[in-house]
Amino acid sequence: MKTLNTIFDAWLDELKMISKDEGVLLFFLFLPIAYPLIYSWIYNNEVAREVPVVLIDNSHSAKSREFAQKYDASPDVCIAYRCGNMSEAKSHIGREEAYGIIYIPHDFDKCLGRHTQAHISIYCDMSYMLAYKAIYQTATAVCSDMGATGLTPLYFEEVPIFNTTGGYGNFIIPGVLVLIIQQALLLGVGMIAGTRREERYYKKIPDQEWKIAGMLGHSFAYLMIFSVMLAWITLIVPRIFGFVSLVHGSTLFHFLVPYLLACVFFAITVSSFVRYRESVMLIVVFTSLPMLFLSGVSWPLSSISGFWQGVSYAFPSTFGVRGFIRMSSMGAELADVQHEYFGLWIQTIVYFLLSCTIYQVRGRFLYKNQDSTTK
Amino acid sequence: MRELFVREIHILLVHPIYIMCMVVAPLLITFFFTSLMDEGAPQNLPIGVVDLDQTTTTRKLTRMIDAFQSTKVVAHYTSMDEARHAIQKNDIYGFLLFPKDLTSDMLAFRQPKMSFYYSNTSLTAGSLIYKDMKTVCTLAAAGVGQGIMQAKGMTPEQIKATLQPIALDTHLIGNPWVNYNFYLSAMLIPNTIILLIFLVTVYSLGIEIKFRMRRENDRDNKGWLEMAHGDFGMAIFTKILPQTLVFICVFILVYSYLFGWLHFPHPGGFWRIVLLAFLSVVSAQGFGVFIFGLIPSMRMAMSVCSLWGVLSFSMAGTAFPVFAMDAPLQSISWMFPMRHYYLIYQLCILNTYPLTEVLINIFAMLSLGFLPLLVIKRIERAFVNYAYEP
Repeated sequence: MKTLNTIFDAWLDELKMISKDEGVLLFFLFLPIAYPLIYSWIYNNEVAREVPVVLIDNSHSAKSREFAQKYDASPDVCIAYRCGNMSEAKSHIGREEAYGIIYIPHDFDKCLGRHTQAHISIYCDMSYMLAYKAIYQTATAVCSDMGATGLTPLYFEEVPIFNTTGGYGNFIIPGVLVLIIQQALLLGVGMIAGTRREERYYKKIPDQEWKIAGMLGHSFAYLMIFSVMLAWITLIVPRIFGFVSLVHGSTLFHFLVPYLLACVFFAITVSSFVRYRESVMLIVVFTSLPMLFLSGVSWPLSSISGFWQGVSYAFPSTFGVRGFIRMSSMGAELADVQHEYFGLWIQTIVYFLLSCTIYQVRGRFLYKNQDSTTK
Repeated sequence: MRELFVREIHILLVHPIYIMCMVVAPLLITFFFTSLMDEGAPQNLPIGVVDLDQTTTTRKLTRMIDAFQSTKVVAHYTSMDEARHAIQKNDIYGFLLFPKDLTSDMLAFRQPKMSFYYSNTSLTAGSLIYKDMKTVCTLAAAGVGQGIMQAKGMTPEQIKATLQPIALDTHLIGNPWVNYNFYLSAMLIPNTIILLIFLVTVYSLGIEIKFRMRRENDRDNKGWLEMAHGDFGMAIFTKILPQTLVFICVFILVYSYLFGWLHFPHPGGFWRIVLLAFLSVVSAQGFGVFIFGLIPSMRMAMSVCSLWGVLSFSMAGTAFPVFAMDAPLQSISWMFPMRHYYLIYQLCILNTYPLTEVLINIFAMLSLGFLPLLVIKRIERAFVNYAYEP
């Protein structure tokens, strides 16, 4: 009974602390609510349409004009400039007015008429990845369309099976959404821990000895807030922006419970490294992108080396992002994400034990060291 | 003035958070991204095969795609359903489907259709296996056609012209190896450093207010402003300058590793890289001080800087191009130092366009560096009024 009371006290105390602290509210409420909206807005258009291209037509023939018309008519590119030579075309690229060059040589028409192979060149900088894709794929399509003879013995069909539009938003957003929860918790809980430390040191407020029961109370407070945020992020945001969401409510619930628990205890563990309220931002913010990469969103999982795979197992986001993407974008069931599901439970247990240890020893350990702690 | 410098350098050395964020974190991030994308382009991405035909032809095609650089056939499935399930389990990124009687239909010229399925959930993996599978399918069609045409007595030239009347020559400028490391590391690493500069700048200013309030009579803390004899501009300048120098050195160090050791392409030359490092540090610091001046609350200023720094990764336009974003975002992108960084890097270092093409971006970065002049009075007021709020 006494333990239950302590848990309740700690829970209430933490909620009070959160509601009074604007900095923490910023991380617990504003960040999970607003960031998904901002990101979704940025990637709202999903694909690059009408990428401007420079055309150099040295053939000046009916065939080359047919090519240009067909190329221009495609949804992904448009011929913005027609130039007489290469250096003129390059100056358009330099001024960011176009992103690629199509070059039709003078013998294009002659080759087609003579029944020898004709050539078309595209010059493109691959650092504009989506622009490159649009320019290249359209050119391939128009070339094979104009060259089609109907004589091919074998047809083939290309089928994008998930994320069928190849949209950038649908690719990156689910991962970002799940990661935001973890980062918001790290920042908020870290800031609370930093505040406690400062108060203990500067105002000499005797710290309440919360111990394990207190840790449970605190975690309940975080869980309460973040289950709402998680519901907002995984159920409502995708609907507002029309992102693919193939997941069933109950499957999602089963998967997100361990994710949220793992994140909470992970945040408590990390918060023991925070000395001042504000330094948590210095430590946490820049890790977001590496964590996104480690989860295998941008860089394929099969190409991540064993060492980094090992490192990635330390973060709940790794499993959370992988599992969530597969469920929400590909309609996987819980059994398909078993590996991730168990990974999250293991993390939950490990970080729970670490959190307990930290709360148990924190008081003693810190009081002894506080005199040597300077700014 | 010397006193002030000594004090700042002392602060940077004594508090581990500065060394952590100014030197260790950038180097760690450099190591992380470059070692993660060591391969350049992802290789041997796992794909599957659903072979309902089971002939030497389909087996030959399977071997052929396996031999491609980006793909590796890891499994055979008996049905399309099973293969789809494997994608959902993340075992494979795509699969080839050979329908029943493919070979016999092909030889009888009944023009059968084979298909390949690829998942775009990971765009990188999706587009790489798309390219390989498309090539294999084209070659497969051509291979059969070639046999028939040879039998009819056509010359190799004629066969080529019949199978592919218009050939497409792709010239990838700047990075013909399609090395992702060159693109991504060269953007993500400076972006992370710029993010850290934002935060460290605001943190170092904010912590002055915070601790001035808390330990007025403390030992080494002879008031920072008193030391500057009331010259506030000088106080800020001496606070920022040592950080500028450290960050420029870190940039040069990171660049030496990227361009010197790892041989990232940089036909633009060494001095432009140095110029870019200088511009990045100055503009990021200017932006940090400016935000702190606008909102002299440490936490709010740091939050805004975090937001700005994290959004930079998107707003630079490296992955999703800025011209494809909504119009308001295109204008806002001008307020991101990283956007200008990207344009300068892309045009003048990865390519060899003259610096005049990016004059406006250089100017924009410099103006970001001078932004603090607008708010210096506000910062001063904030300091004098001890406005730290938790």
